[in-house]
Formats: sequence, structure tokens, C-alpha cells
Amino acid sequence: MFEYIVRRLWQTIPTLLGVVLLVFFLFTWVGGDPAYLLAGKISNPEQIENIRRQLGVDQPIHAQLWIFIKQIATGDFGVSWATNEQVSDIFLTRLGPSLTVLVPLLVVDTVLAIAAAMLVAYVRGSVTDRVVMITCTVGQSISILVYIIVFQYLLAYRLGWFPVQGWGNGFAENLLTYSLLPIIVGVIVSLAPDTRLYRTFFLDEINQDYVRTARAKGLSETRVIWVHVMRNASIPIITNVMIQLPGLLVGAFLIERFFSIPGIGREVLLAVERSDFPVIKAVTIYVAIATMITNLLADLLYKAVDPRVQLK
Amino acid sequence: MIPANKSDTLVSVRDLGVSFRIDRTNRIEAVKRISFDIPANSTVALVGESGSGKSVTALAILGLLPKENSTIDPDGKILYRERNLLELTQAEMRRLRGGDISMIFQEPMSSLNPLFAVGFQLAEVLTEHVGLRGRQARKRAVELLQEVGIPDPEAKYDAYPFQLSGGQQQRVMIAMAIACEPKLLIADEPTTALDVTIQKQILELIANVQKRRRMSVLFITHDLAVVGEIADHVVVMRDGMIREQGPVKQIFEAPRDSYTQALMLCRPQLGRRPKRLPVIDDFLDSSHPPAVADRSRGLRGGEPIVLEARHLGKSFYSRRGLFGQQEFKAVKDVSFKLAKGKTLGLVGESGSGKTTVGLTLVRLHEASSGQVIFGGKDLLAMPAHEAMQYKRRIQIVFQNPYSSLNPRFTVGEILMEPMTIHKLGSERQDRRDMVHALLEKVGLSESAFFKYPHEFSGGQRQRIAIARCLTMKPDVLICDESVSALDVSVQAQVLNLLQDLQDEFGMSYIFISHDLAVVKYMADEIMVMSEGEIVEIADSDEIYLNPRHPYTKTLLSAIPRGWNAARRTAAETGGESHSTVP
Amino acid sequence: MKRAAIGTSIHIESPGLWTLAWKRFRQDRVGLVSLNIVAFFVILMAASWTGLIASDWSKEVGVSNAPPTLLGPRVASTSAERAPPARSRASRIDDRSEERVVDPLADILADIRGERPTGSGGTPIVDPLADVLAEIRAESERASAAETRVSTLIFGGDKWGRDVLAKAIKGTETSLFVGLSAAALAALLGTLFGALAGYFGRWIDDFFNWFYSVFTSIPYLLLILSIAAVLNQKGTITVVLILGLTGWTGIFRLVRAEYMKHRVREYVQAADAIGASHLRRMFVHIFPNVSHVVLVQLSLHVVLFIKSEVVLSFLGFGVGVDTVSWGSMLNEAQTELILGYWWQLAAATTAMALLVTAFGLSTDAFRDALDPKLK
Repeated sequence: MFEYIVRRLWQTIPTLLGVVLLVFFLFTWVGGDPAYLLAGKISNPEQIENIRRQLGVDQPIHAQLWIFIKQIATGDFGVSWATNEQVSDIFLTRLGPSLTVLVPLLVVDTVLAIAAAMLVAYVRGSVTDRVVMITCTVGQSISILVYIIVFQYLLAYRLGWFPVQGWGNGFAENLLTYSLLPIIVGVIVSLAPDTRLYRTFFLDEINQDYVRTARAKGLSETRVIWVHVMRNASIPIITNVMIQLPGLLVGAFLIERFFSIPGIGREVLLAVERSDFPVIKAVTIYVAIATMITNLLADLLYKAVDPRVQLK
Repeated sequence: MIPANKSDTLVSVRDLGVSFRIDRTNRIEAVKRISFDIPANSTVALVGESGSGKSVTALAILGLLPKENSTIDPDGKILYRERNLLELTQAEMRRLRGGDISMIFQEPMSSLNPLFAVGFQLAEVLTEHVGLRGRQARKRAVELLQEVGIPDPEAKYDAYPFQLSGGQQQRVMIAMAIACEPKLLIADEPTTALDVTIQKQILELIANVQKRRRMSVLFITHDLAVVGEIADHVVVMRDGMIREQGPVKQIFEAPRDSYTQALMLCRPQLGRRPKRLPVIDDFLDSSHPPAVADRSRGLRGGEPIVLEARHLGKSFYSRRGLFGQQEFKAVKDVSFKLAKGKTLGLVGESGSGKTTVGLTLVRLHEASSGQVIFGGKDLLAMPAHEAMQYKRRIQIVFQNPYSSLNPRFTVGEILMEPMTIHKLGSERQDRRDMVHALLEKVGLSESAFFKYPHEFSGGQRQRIAIARCLTMKPDVLICDESVSALDVSVQAQVLNLLQDLQDEFGMSYIFISHDLAVVKYMADEIMVMSEGEIVEIADSDEIYLNPRHPYTKTLLSAIPRGWNAARRTAAETGGESHSTVP
Repeated sequence: MKRAAIGTSIHIESPGLWTLAWKRFRQDRVGLVSLNIVAFFVILMAASWTGLIASDWSKEVGVSNAPPTLLGPRVASTSAERAPPARSRASRIDDRSEERVVDPLADILADIRGERPTGSGGTPIVDPLADVLAEIRAESERASAAETRVSTLIFGGDKWGRDVLAKAIKGTETSLFVGLSAAALAALLGTLFGALAGYFGRWIDDFFNWFYSVFTSIPYLLLILSIAAVLNQKGTITVVLILGLTGWTGIFRLVRAEYMKHRVREYVQAADAIGASHLRRMFVHIFPNVSHVVLVQLSLHVVLFIKSEVVLSFLGFGVGVDTVSWGSMLNEAQTELILGYWWQLAAATTAMALLVTAFGLSTDAFRDALDPKLK
């Protein structure tokens, strides 16, 4: 087991290297000289010169790459070009608010989507199934922007059920006051596609031979679905949830932005607007590492669910 | 066919009709108002080719037909102990399923839930129907595993399906089916997916369990040889209708229906080798099929050799860890000679490496070692471009006619392509004429040229695949399980075609199959493979009469002998036959 | 599909798999209606692109925030009856100072639109478009002076009095164009990479898998935003390139799996046995058999990219300032909604929902019709 984890981490090195190259290529070659980019954004020529020196713009490419790799290894990406804040500090302080919103969102969404998908898979072909599916298709076709704008306007601005936006200091306050509406909007947006997706997972399994065997054994339909089908369908569901996990770090940045939640997503948007490269680079690298870790976690989870998976 | 003594009948099916909806407007009638009885304590075989409606009948008895698209004719009845199963509620039906009536299926691997230990799946039935839980259920489940002959049942209780062999998986299915002392076991092609030696064991197990538990078995199969070994009564189905039913003795010794007669004769027999196999039409058109002379096969010695394999080896590598590899030797040191105009049969069970040999010869797999001498040169050592002209002369016909033709090509395109690639024939019209001639040769009409493969039946598709090989005028034709996926009646036609083509063009065949009767019929010389090695090569008649290697002997003894003298005497003296049914 | 047009002799045309799929598709009424709606939008796009309709979308024909005809003109006493403001940054800020009295969201809104001078690194922002804007303003002032404005428009008007219907049509052109061309680019890359990796396997597969895992290690939207940040230039083509160059991964994975499956199918081995080359096997034999997967993915990605384009344009990283898209309409609509002018929001949402739903339903119908159970 331990050996497996070590080997898997070892295997992620080429991928990580690829990500580093991709990010480096994007920000150094495509992005160009920060002096040119920052002209008009930062008026202080000394500061720009400072930034250029840090990046090693005048040095050859491999030296610049080496500077970048050193930054990643030490976790020190320097300071934000826009705010002079330590990039690592930005990341740490913004993580909490993002997770406060996104973890409950993911949990609620997954539970509801599984329940709804199971229900419609069970009555597949019926009127209920068709109505739910069409509702999902239509619901999915409306932009997330519209959901946010309308819900914020109606539920917060007009009806005053929730604060329009903002963020407090205490965790409970944030979760129970400020996060509620963002979570509701997030769940509504992700429920439709997830229900549709999980329904196909269940339907794929319902037509398998082993389900026929379970029925031939005289098991109740409830047991067939919740024990036999559920366990098998959980494999693709785990995959889908794990794919969403690293996204949690970046957050649903639209939600964060509209509801003024000081999370990472909002920070990324600000950074993109201000061409604040150190922040974007750091977030990209961190999230890529997080993705690789969740992939490893997903494999360990598969092992728990599926006896055929062998960790070799 | 109303039984004389009602108490002896376990299930009677009366006027059962099942239809399926294909799309908005069309339905097909899969089963057309059939009636038959399953007497208590006996084995009834439901025999038919694909599409005959035999499996649908079985699923209807158990109430397992898909609700979305199937309809059961309301006039029909399935009476089980005076109750009509078609009128029971879901809950009542559920109590019967797995309890009084249980079922095993064709594919044991996919029929078991891959994610649960077999013991769990077995104990589940006991909990559901007998109310056993925890340790009691486990104890009983282990006993059942023991009863069906699983070695080390205590340990295998916690094994997952993928850790068991195909035969063991089917044993687990049987244990699950007999767990609650059923009155009726429905077995839907339970041995079709298994090797012949395993098939023999499973058939014996089912027969033993049937006797010991005094239950009835509804045995669904396409294989009359199996029927002859196991059944007391036989029901022959075709196109959703019953052609003939009766006691096994009557069906085998005095079949009345022409289709039943045809089914029995169009499968190659071990004892005889007619020049041409009878086909269904011979029987349906006239009541007496023409008598044909026998063909003699075997090598006389001194025939010219077209192809010779020397020490052929093929290994597959699977990745282990980062740099490690694990070697699996699929073929080890295989050498043989193929004589001109003769057939070399290649038999073996699944995993024996016989298909790998075939694919290596045509360079679809790259050999790991050895030589293939063809036309005086080593085919395997040639660079690809040089091999092209030799490649043309060795062609291969695959097993599955449904996947071996590109569904997006017309038959004309399929047949013209090889000629275009190898620049055969001078111009397009020339090639078209050749294709037309070939279509006629393989028994298809000229109109097939513009049709797509999906418009043809399996047998016709296999003819197209053969025609594709013939476009290149090959010297050697490799038939890799080429008739295994076909129904017996169609199989006979394709085998006849292959023999005719060999007679006409003098091609050499390498005939690969797991079916010993077919290989015996087709081959002059037979090569037996096991675990990648050749265990025996000999003339085909010789090998059947005097097998030398123990593996060959096991293989031969496992072939179902069908209705034979031994079974007849046993049936007469043992008195297990139920004379109450006319 | 007429592929059997070789030779001269008379023959009966046989339906190929595509013809059969089309037949099945036509039986699906929902799918057929949806496809017609999609076709309507495509025609709309073409007409708008060639300038046949909605070419005058930027003309300020109505009063500011003119309500839809159905609602009737606004009563004179409401504050909105004032003259339409000229389009300049200065006047917008004026606007906001008026709004602030009633609007608690103003701060956030300003923040969202990224108009507030930023952060503590705070240096005054020089607007590179100031000249252009001034020019536009001058022109529009000239124009508006010469015209009389109508009090209602069929689907209402925006802040500048432009016809929302015309804007929605123009937005359709932008969004659909971006969706279609980005999806085509992504499908091309995904199919090519997937075919190579799945067919050849070994190190080629390793290489493309590495490439795939690099791209999927970074969440999709983060990747897009990073690229938008470095490119630092707006425009329709930029958006197409960003979306297309990053969006191939899903198609790649599916096409690769299909090629791996088909590579070992007997018909491909048979093609090898008759001497067909690698390229011929990949594209003449296998490709037609996986093309239905690509087609379904293509249409799924059109939807995905339309949605992404809307978000990008909303955030201001998408199409240029002189182009309308549903995203930029939603951006304006957000402020308008708080003032009670909901029609621009409704127009953009309806147009998008109609197209995307129709696309989704016809994709479902395609998938059902193309499902090659026939084989």
C-alpha cells in the first residue's frame, strides 16, 4: 500500500513537469515581458524593474525556468504584482471561505443527485422520468449567470431572506448566513447535469446480467437497486465527484464574485483582470498538484469499492 | 399433448405467446402460442437455433422479461401447481423466484455481481427465502459450495467472481440456484461459454443435483449432443413455434418432424465423414435427403509442403510497475508443416494459444521467435513491404461474421478493396466482373454488391468474408473458429462451401476450432494444443481412434456423445424415463 | 449516403447505416423539432453575419430602457424618462451616483464590472479605448440629435435605447459562431490525437496521455482564464482559439477509447490481412465507425463552449467591446434588473435557453438514432 502510494507519486512527476512547462511557456513566451504588460497598470518604473529582475527576464530561457522551478519547490512565488501581498499568504487566507461554500455544496449536490437519479432510473420510461429529464435539459440550458442574477435579486434583494452579499468573521456565521444562498444557487446549477449523468450510470448497470440474476434469485427491487446496482454505479460516480474536487480549490468563482466571498476563485478573477501573474501561476500549480493527489485518492477509493482493482 | 396423470406435471405452459416492440410501429412475435409440460422430477430439453424463442420462453416462466418492450399474450397460461404464474402479483412471483423456481445463465462471469464476494451473493438467497442470517447463512452457503464441488469452499466463500474460473463461477451459480430446494431449475445454455472438458463436469453436476434433489430441470440448448446425454423429454423449437416434442428416445430414434431430422444430421458426426453435409433445405424440401458418399481424409505422405512453421513462439508482455514487464508465453516452440490442398486442424481449449498461432502466421501478431517458411522464404523475417506480396497468399477468415466486415462499406467495396490494394485485375470493370463471379461462387446473388453487411444473416456474412479472401487467390486459408458462431444448420452450409472451394482451387486450410467434431470432419491432420504447446499431431482418423497424449484423451472423452447405446440401456433399465407422458 | 456509385450497371440503392440512423431520427418528434430550432438559429446566425438582419443593432432607436411594446410606454413621471445618456465612462459614473441612492448593490456591481480602480497597488488606470469611445460618443450624439426616439420597442430597449431584439440576434451570431467553430477545432484536435494514440498505442499513446493529463490537471476554467490573462487581448477569434485549444481533452479520451476498441476488431484485422496501410485502416476503415461518437461530442461541445463564451464575455475576457454576445448582454442586464428593467435579461436568457435546449435535445435524439445496435 505504502509502496504503491510512493510509486504513484513518483509517476506523477512527468505530468507535474508538463504542467510546469505549460505554465512557464504560457506566462513567459506568450505572456511576454512584464514591463510591456504592466505598462499603464503599474506606473512605478522601479517596481517593474524589480519584477523583471526577479523573473530573470534578461537571462536565458533555461535560467528563467530554473527560477520558476525553484519558486515551486520552495512554495515562494514572491509577491503579488498588484497588492504586494505574499502569494502564499493570499492562497492560505482565501482557502477557508472557498471551502466553506464549496464542500457543503458538493456534498448536498451529490446526495440529491444520486437520490434523484436513482428515482428516475427506477421509473425509467415513465412520465415522471420524462418530465424530470426535460426539466433537467431545460434547467441546464440556462446560464449559471442567470441563476445567480435572478436568485440574488429575488431572494436577497427583493425578499430579503438572505444577505445580498458579504462575509463575516466566524465560521458558523459564514456558513449559516452568508453561504446559504450561494450554496442553494450552486446546488440548483449542478443538480441538473449531475442527475442526468448519474441516471445514465444507473441505467447502464440496470441492464447488466447480474441484475437479472439478482431478480432471478427473488430479491426485492429495492435490494436489487440499492445493493447490487448502487455498488456498481458508485464507481463512475466516484470518478465524477473526484474530478470535481480540485475544482473546489479554484471555487465556483462566479458565485464567489457575485456574493463577495473572499475565496480563491474571486482572487483568480481579480488576478486575471490585473495581469497579476504570480498569483495565477501559483494557483495553477497548486491546483495541478491537488488534482494529482485527488487522482491518487480516487484510485485508493476504487480499491475500497472494487475488488478487481489491484494496486500494483 | 395433455399429460395423462396430472399430479405428475410440475409446470404446464399453455398457448404462451410473447411479442417484442422493436420501434413505434413494429412488433415481432418471439413465441407463438406454444404449449408443453415439464413433468416432476425429470429433465426437459428445449432445443432450437438462435431466434427460436427458447430463452424468451424460459424468461417468461420466471417473469423476467423486460417490461418496457415485451408483451405476453393474455390468453396464455403458465400453470405451476395449479397456479397461473402470469397472474401472480410481483410479490408472489418474487417468493417463487429463487425459491421454487430458479435459473442459471449462459455467461457465469457477467451473471455474478463483480463487486460482491460469491459467499455474500449465495447467502443473500438464503436470507431472502429461508431467513438464515449471519453465521448460519455462512455455514449453509459453505455446505452448498461443497455440494457443487468447489474446492476449499471455506476459503472460496470470500472469493470474488473474477478470482474463480469459468467453471467454478457456473458452479457458484448452480449452488445459488439450488440453495432453497427449488422444484424447477431453468438452465439457459449453461455450458455454451465453457470449454468442452468443463462442460462435461457441469453437465454431470446438473444431472447429479437433479437426481439427488428430485427436482425438474428445463435445459435450454442449441446442442443436440448435449440433449441426448441429459434430457428425458425434448421440445424442439423453431421461429417461436414447437416443431416436435416427446420422450428423448422417440426424438432421437424416430424423429417425425423434418426440421428435427435435419438438426440431427447436419452437425458433423464423429463416426462418419460424408462428402457433403446435409443442410436443412434437403429435409424441408423432400422427406428423404440424398445419400452421399463418404470422403476420405488424411495424408498419404509425399504431398508438397506450402507452409512450414519452425519453432514458432509468441510472448505477450504486461507492464509491471514503472519499468518492469511480465512475460506471458502464449505460444511455445510450435512447429508443423502444411501440405498443399490439405487441411490442418488445430484444436485446443480457450487460452491454448491456437488463435495466436493463426494470427502470427498472417503477421497480425509479430512472432517472438521462430520462422514461417512460405514460398522458400522466411515470412517473419521479411520487411513489411516485401511481405505484402506474400501476405496476399495467406488469408484468414475470422470467428465473428458480425464484426469482421466493416459495417460502413458495401459488399462491393469490401470485395474490391483487396484487389485495389494489391493491383489485381486490370481495370475497374475487370474487377467488378471478378467480384460478381466470386459472389456467385460463394452462393450470393449479384445484387449483394450494393448492399451493406447489416442486411445479411450471419451465414451470408461469413460467405462474404470468405469471398473477400478469395479475391486475392490465396494458397493458404486460415479459418479461425470460422463456423463457431453459426447455428448448426448454417454451419453445415459454410463447411460445405469451404470443402467445395478446396476441391476446386486446391487451397490448403488451417482450420482452428474448439469444436472437435467439426475439426475431425474437416481436417486431414490434427494438431492438439494445450497451454501454448503442441501436445500431439497425427492424422485425423488416427487421433480419434488412438489418442496417445493424456490431454488428447481427456479432450476426446469430454465430447458429448449424444443419444447412444449406453444411454439407451441406462434409460431402459434405470426406469428414470417417464412413460406417463406420451 | 450514396457511397456505392461505382460502375455503370443499374442497381438498387441500399440504405447505409447513416441513412438508417436518419430514418430513426425522423421518427423522434422531439428531436426533429429541436433540430429545426437549431437550424433556425444557424440561419439567423448566417443572416446576421451577412448583414441581412440586425446590422443596425447599435443604432439608438428608442428611449433609454424602452419597455417592450406589450407593456406600453412608461408613464412620464418615472425618472427614466430622462434623455438617454451618452455612452462614455464619465456618464456611466454619473449614472451610478444617481443610482446609489436606491441601490445597495452598486458597489458590488461596480466591482463585478471591474470598473473600480483596483487594489492598493492603486495607480490610475489609463483607458486605452478612451479615444475610440470619444469618437463613438461624438458620432452617436450626432445621430441621436437628428432622430426622434420611439417610446416602446418590440422586446424593449437597453440603457442606450438600442433594440434588445436586434442585440439578441447579434448575440446569437457571436455565441453560436464561437460555439460552432471552437467545437469544430476541439473535435478536430481531439479526434486526431485520439486516433493516433488509440490506434498506435505504445509510446505514441504514452505521449498523448501525458499531454492529456497535463491539460486535465488544471481545471478547465482556470486554464481558460490563465490563457485569457496572458493573451490579454479580446476578440471573437481569440475566444475560439482559447476554447478550442483547451477543450479537446474530453473528445480525445473518448475517441482514443473507441480506436482502442476498434483496432482489435476483426474487420480491422481483416483490413490488415488484405494489406491495407495504417492510414487507410485509421481513417477509411475505423473512422466512419467512430464518427457518430465524434458527432455527438461535437454537438455537446457546442453547448459547452456557448456557455463558456457567455461566462467569459460576461467577465470581460471574451469578445471585444464592439461585439454583442449573450454574455455582454447579461452583464448589462444585471444592473438593469435592479432598476426593474428585466427585458434584456429575459431576451438573452430566452435566446440562449432555447438554442441550448434544442441543441441538447437533438443531441439526445442523435445519440439514440446513431446507437449502432445494428451491428
